[in-house]
Amino acid sequence: MKHFTFITLVLISFFAVNAQQYKQSLAGIEWVKIESKSSITVKTHTTNELLIKSENTTKIPERAKGLKLIGEGGADNTEMGFYVVKEGNNLIVRNLRKSNHSTAEIYLPASQNISVTTRGTGAADIEIIGFKSEIEASALLNGSIHIENVSGPVTADSLNGGITISFSTLNQDSPITIYATNGELDITLPKNTPANLSLGTVNGDIYTDFDLKFPEKNGLKSISFSQKLNQAINGGGVPFQLKTTNGNIYLRKK
Amino acid sequence: MENKHYIAQLPDYLDDTLPPEQKEVIATHIASCTTCKEALKELQILSTAFDNEPEVAPSARLRDNFFAQLEAEKQSSSKLIAMDGSSFSKKTNWPTTFLKIAASIALLIGSYFLGKQQQAQIAHTEIALLTNENESFKQTAMLSLMGNKSASKRIQGVQFVTEFSAPDETIVSALIERMLNDENTNVRRTAVEVLSEFTRSELVTNGFIKALKTEKDPGIQITIIQILGKIQERNAVVPMQNLLERKDTQPYVKEELELVLPKII
Amino acid sequence: MKTNKTITFLENLTDEMLMAKVANGNLDVLKILFERHHKHVFNFLYKMCGDKMLSEDITQEVFYKLMKYRSSYNNGKFVSWLFTIARNCLKTHFRKTVNTPESIDTTAIKHIEKEEEKPDYSDLQIALNQLDASDRELLVLHRFQEIKYEELANIVGSTPGAVKTKVSRAMQKLRNIYFKNI
Repeated sequence: MKHFTFITLVLISFFAVNAQQYKQSLAGIEWVKIESKSSITVKTHTTNELLIKSENTTKIPERAKGLKLIGEGGADNTEMGFYVVKEGNNLIVRNLRKSNHSTAEIYLPASQNISVTTRGTGAADIEIIGFKSEIEASALLNGSIHIENVSGPVTADSLNGGITISFSTLNQDSPITIYATNGELDITLPKNTPANLSLGTVNGDIYTDFDLKFPEKNGLKSISFSQKLNQAINGGGVPFQLKTTNGNIYLRKK
Repeated sequence: MENKHYIAQLPDYLDDTLPPEQKEVIATHIASCTTCKEALKELQILSTAFDNEPEVAPSARLRDNFFAQLEAEKQSSSKLIAMDGSSFSKKTNWPTTFLKIAASIALLIGSYFLGKQQQAQIAHTEIALLTNENESFKQTAMLSLMGNKSASKRIQGVQFVTEFSAPDETIVSALIERMLNDENTNVRRTAVEVLSEFTRSELVTNGFIKALKTEKDPGIQITIIQILGKIQERNAVVPMQNLLERKDTQPYVKEELELVLPKII
Repeated sequence: MKTNKTITFLENLTDEMLMAKVANGNLDVLKILFERHHKHVFNFLYKMCGDKMLSEDITQEVFYKLMKYRSSYNNGKFVSWLFTIARNCLKTHFRKTVNTPESIDTTAIKHIEKEEEKPDYSDLQIALNQLDASDRELLVLHRFQEIKYEELANIVGSTPGAVKTKVSRAMQKLRNIYFKNI
């Protein structure tokens, strides 16, 4: 019995320290801007609030007891390594931890416009799942971007990581631009999506199962080595731009 | 039956705005009444005369003056600028302010409007005026898009420029502003791509040279290097050499620079 | 290859939606309303007074007032409001220059008579000029500006039924003058 109580106590304390939550109302917020130096995951939930869940696999240093984590972007005001502040009708959410040992998940309503930026010297990947709103994702240094089950518009760019995006439908309101400098693009669209595609790569190759053709070159040698392709699919629609400098482009239909 | 005419209803009959029963009654009547038939014929002629009456176009002065008033109003209603308030906002002091602004606008875009006016005079048809109206509408729409919070909308605004037959300095400056200062990489990249169509403008080439110094994204750096190389821009040589010597410049950007630089000199 | 889908965002908004934005302080949107309507206002005024420069000045005044009194916009039909202002501006102008309230008609016509030898006056314009200002106003607004009876009633401060009758009578008068002239 004594033994059992001990285990329960250990379990309780484990959850108390390691499975934390932070909530914040989103009333009047137009954009949520998330900044991070480590990997970050953004998912949807049904309430109109920001929810941060963090499960630490490493302990907070013993010496840090009673102290507050401070990072470049501000001090921890959530007790879980995040700095959250309203700026006009933006909500800024800054992850202050640099290590990837904590996996933080952010939950927002599916209709919330989000902008996620990582700038990490280590891997700082972005994962975004299930939004019906506008999405901006920038992996400015060493991160990849993975976005699935979204409708756009999406504006995404990465420097050294690849970008994988799977669209459930395609919002026709404003342009989609996806650019990777050194990474690959792997993009999936529903097969009947109307769009004006524009694909371009300097040193990479383009692969697709959509019926796309390069314009005939009339036997002339192209001036630059880069490949460019502009073509409407399913009758044409919203501008949809995929570009890389050094990576391949994979465009799939489903 | 002399006083049973439908003269008063004829205009509505002609416009087809009457209820069907009444319409039918009048139609039957007209068929057998010369007075009403004649009146209807005359109304038809009159109606055509209304349709054919040309619309007169006001001079460009009207738009210029009103837009200047609007700018003045924007200035005076924004509380950001500290003024001693006594003379400016309470008394309607707009004539002087407006003259100043009008003068500066005239200096800024004078040449463009002159060109536009001459064009309009040559064509001097409704169509030409309609095009002008479209252009300025597009401009307003485009500039407001470029200031949007959403990167996708800003990109839309930037891509919008390709819809202009001849973008003026206001538009080009707005594009350069996006290229140099937008926080989103894709907006800056799109601005560079659109601006590459206007390399004959010195404003644009100077913008590219400036961007070469400030831009940190290697992909955009390469695009700008290629554009400046293609037009053999000599003023770009020094900033390119500086970029080549910088430690944080990516190796493949340096390769591009080494490829392009000898071609300019 | 560009689709129109990318351009339709502001064009699709009604005058009323745009004016609501202006009333909320977004002054730039007024430019769109200006582009949509300034020609109509100008042509209305020009038909009423026959003076191009004056019509330009008053058109500018109309939009200036729209801007100044933007916060008093009550979400009613924009066109009604616009032409109510235009009409008042014109009235005020004539009151100022001639000093007697009823002189709108005479001034307007005098103005036109002065320029009657000008070759660019159409038969229709000449006939219109011989109407009372109030009849002319109704016809110009209804036939040229295609303003519906309901809005027309708002503008001149009457009921749609009464306006309809007045327009019809004015049209008969115009018909008689027009075909007598020819």
